[in-house]
Parts: sequence; C-alpha cells; structure tokens
Amino acid sequence: MRFNEKELVFLSRQPPERAAELGMRGPKKGDVVKRRVVKLIVNFLFYFRTDEDEPIGALLLEQCRVEREDDQVFSIVFLDEAERKYLFECDSQEQCVEWIDAIVKASYEFMRKNLIYYRTEIHRLTGTDPLEQYGISDETRFQVFLVLQSASIHHCHLLCFL
Amino acid sequence: MRLFENSPGHGCTPGGVVMKIHEKILTHYLSCTSPVDKEGYLYKKRERNTTYLRRWFVLKGNLLFYQERPGDRNLLGVIVLEGCLVQACETDGQFCFSLVFTGPGLRTYRLAADDHLSQESWIGALFCASHIYLSMIVRDLERRYEEAKKDKGLCDSIQTSAVTSSSNNIMASWNSGQPYFVHGTSIVPRDGRSYSTSSVPPPSTQNRPISYSLHAPPIQFKTTNKRSPKLWPKRNAHVIPLNGPAPSYGEWPVVNFDPLEEFSKLHEYYGNEIKQLRAEWLKKKRGEVGHVEEDLIDLG
Repeated sequence: MRFNEKELVFLSRQPPERAAELGMRGPKKGDVVKRRVVKLIVNFLFYFRTDEDEPIGALLLEQCRVEREDDQVFSIVFLDEAERKYLFECDSQEQCVEWIDAIVKASYEFMRKNLIYYRTEIHRLTGTDPLEQYGISDETRFQVFLVLQSASIHHCHLLCFL
Repeated sequence: MRLFENSPGHGCTPGGVVMKIHEKILTHYLSCTSPVDKEGYLYKKRERNTTYLRRWFVLKGNLLFYQERPGDRNLLGVIVLEGCLVQACETDGQFCFSLVFTGPGLRTYRLAADDHLSQESWIGALFCASHIYLSMIVRDLERRYEEAKKDKGLCDSIQTSAVTSSSNNIMASWNSGQPYFVHGTSIVPRDGRSYSTSSVPPPSTQNRPISYSLHAPPIQFKTTNKRSPKLWPKRNAHVIPLNGPAPSYGEWPVVNFDPLEEFSKLHEYYGNEIKQLRAEWLKKKRGEVGHVEEDLIDLG
C-alpha cells in the first residue's frame, strides 16, 4: 500500500505534542526492548533510533487501547490483538501517566467526540450553533447523530425509549 | 539507504528514507465501525504521467484511502492529510482540485470530480479533515463553552432585577499556534455558503468573519426548562470527554461512570426521565379524557 511518506516524514519534524526517549518493545515474540526517541504528533506516534533524524516507523493512534502495565510502563494494543501490543518503558510514574493521557487525547475520534459535545452544549446554553461561523456546520463529520450512532451499537435497546 | 523488498507498508523514496507505516492498523481503522466521513469516485492524476485514473476514495478522519473500486480488499494507497492546502484548480480541466503539501520537495496530489457538486463537496470535506484543524476548533469551542457556562451561571443567579444586560466580547482571531505550516490551516469561513439545515435554527448573524462577538443571553427571572432543546437529539450519552468539565446540570450523566461498563446505571437514569415524562403525560391525559387505557407493556 502506498502512502505519502515524504509528507509524513516532514510531519515528524514538526513540534511534537510530546517527545521523549523511551524503551520500546514490539509485539512479536522475540522482540526486545530498544531505546527509541518517541514523538507524538497529531494522531501518530513516530519512533526514531536515538541517533537518527528520520523516523523508522509511525503508529496511527486510532482504534487502540492504552493501558498501564506497571508503575513506569504502558502499552498500546491495536486491533484488540495481543499480538499487536507495543510496550513503552518510561523513566518515572509521572512520565508514564502523562504519556497515556496524551495518547488517548491525541486520537482523532476522541477529539471529534469532544467537538460534538461542546457544539451541543454551546447550542444548548446560547441558542447558537458555534460551527456556523466557520461554515462547517453541515459537514457530516461534525454531526451530533454520529455520537448516537456509535452509542446505539452498544445500547441498542435504549432506542425503544426514545 | 535501506531497501525493503516485498514488505507491506514500507515506503521507499529516493534519498534513502524508509519508514514503516503499519498498514494493518490503518486498514483496521478504515474498516471499523466508526463512520466514514465521505466516499466516492474521483480521478487521480498519476505522479509522473498526465493520465487520470478513476479510483474509489474513502475519507475517514485525517486519512484519505483509495482503491480501485468499493469493496476491494486490496487498498492501493492512503494520503495522510496533514499540512496540505485544498484548492480548486481548473488547469487540467473541469472539476479538478489539488492537495498541495507545503514544504520542500513535497507533493501535490491532483484530483478531479465528476461534476461541480461533487468537486465542491469533496473540497469542503477535505478542507476540514486535518487533525490540526480539528484540534484548533475543539480548543476554541472549549473556551466558548466555558464562557457560555459562566454567562449562564451569571444569568441564573440574578432573580429580582429586570435589567437585561449584554456584554460584548470581541474575540480576537486566535493564533493557530502552529507556525511551521507556511500557509497554515487557518480557520477561514468558506465563501459563498448559505446553508439552511432543518435541524438547527438559523443564527442571528450570518457569515461572520473569524473575529466574532459573544453576547451574553438576556437575564431571565423564571427558571428555564433545562431539558435538551427539541431541535437537537436529546442524548449524547456516549460522549465522555476525559478532559471535560463536570456538567453543572444534573441531566447529563456523562462523567460518573463508563456507560459501557455500567449500563444498568445508564438504563436506570434514562428510565427515570421516561417515567417522569410518562407520569406527566398520564396526568394530562386523565384531565382531558377522564380515563386512560391500560399500558400495553408493563414498564415497571
């Protein structure tokens, strides 16, 4: 599958939301912990060899679960598969907690939900739709019903009350 | 320069850059249950050729996937939409537009739609697709939400005065805070739009520029109905902003529990409102009709 690699590498050079040297272990059996420079930029986690400027990989932080494994260790699991569990070793508990928080909040889907929440609340409080002035109030990606749609998957029988 | 042959999801560009993009994670995001933002056929110009090839495009979040046709298991590629401008361009003919990545040696993707409507619709969707754009909007909304709450709090606390006051806060257009993208994904309203949506009442002023004024709502002395406005869907129970402020109105059950794990609480909560509504309805009905039929279902 092709992707716009040069543009992604350029992105990886931008000011990150968060960056640190961490111990990183891949998901495969036999993978060992390696020191990597890890950078969180938009919803990607770029990782570099400690002495290199070009990233060796980029992990898309969507549809993943971030968990505390230990005092200073967190993991990211993709596809709900244990075979796709990446481990990250931090230098302190505080750093570990901060990384988990940052990664969760970096996801596009998380931010989209927040936008819809604020949009609804501002409308409720003020009577105006705050997205009108940006000219994006009709875009499907910001519609309130999206949240109900995802809620319905888990709570479908609630709809009988509505 | 490292070369990986026959390895999925490895880039290989002249200049020796090789980066793994973990293809399966991307395709999983594409195929999972979260809704697609837009999909349809577009023509894509080849990189070193003048021909346009028809491809099925799927936009989700800040990623634009493309394949030969819908339902194909084999994805041809993905374009990460960060740091690009979306522009209509008529140089190659009608209904063309480009994704211009701003930076040294970066690419411009040339695309074309079947008609003007499709072109406009795609430009609109791609324009607001980036993560950077979304995060700027969210930050702005968060601030406005805090202010709206404060204003509302002020309004509700005044009980006797008949004075209505409104405060004008002219908000300066905010700095994107992302100086590295030369042209920036600055928030500008798109021109020539006048939408009317059936679900949202029209705002009092149309097409305001970035700097806008925030009016505090007039002060009222009777308590307002705190139910969610009818024009908007009543519930957003699944929205739990981790960073969100605690709701000041008791009707939003969003922070105390995870609905996925404590469904019984959510069920009970909604059930209570339904019971209340039903009790009111029943009372009203009895007043009109004199008797009410028995429930068809036992609602407990």
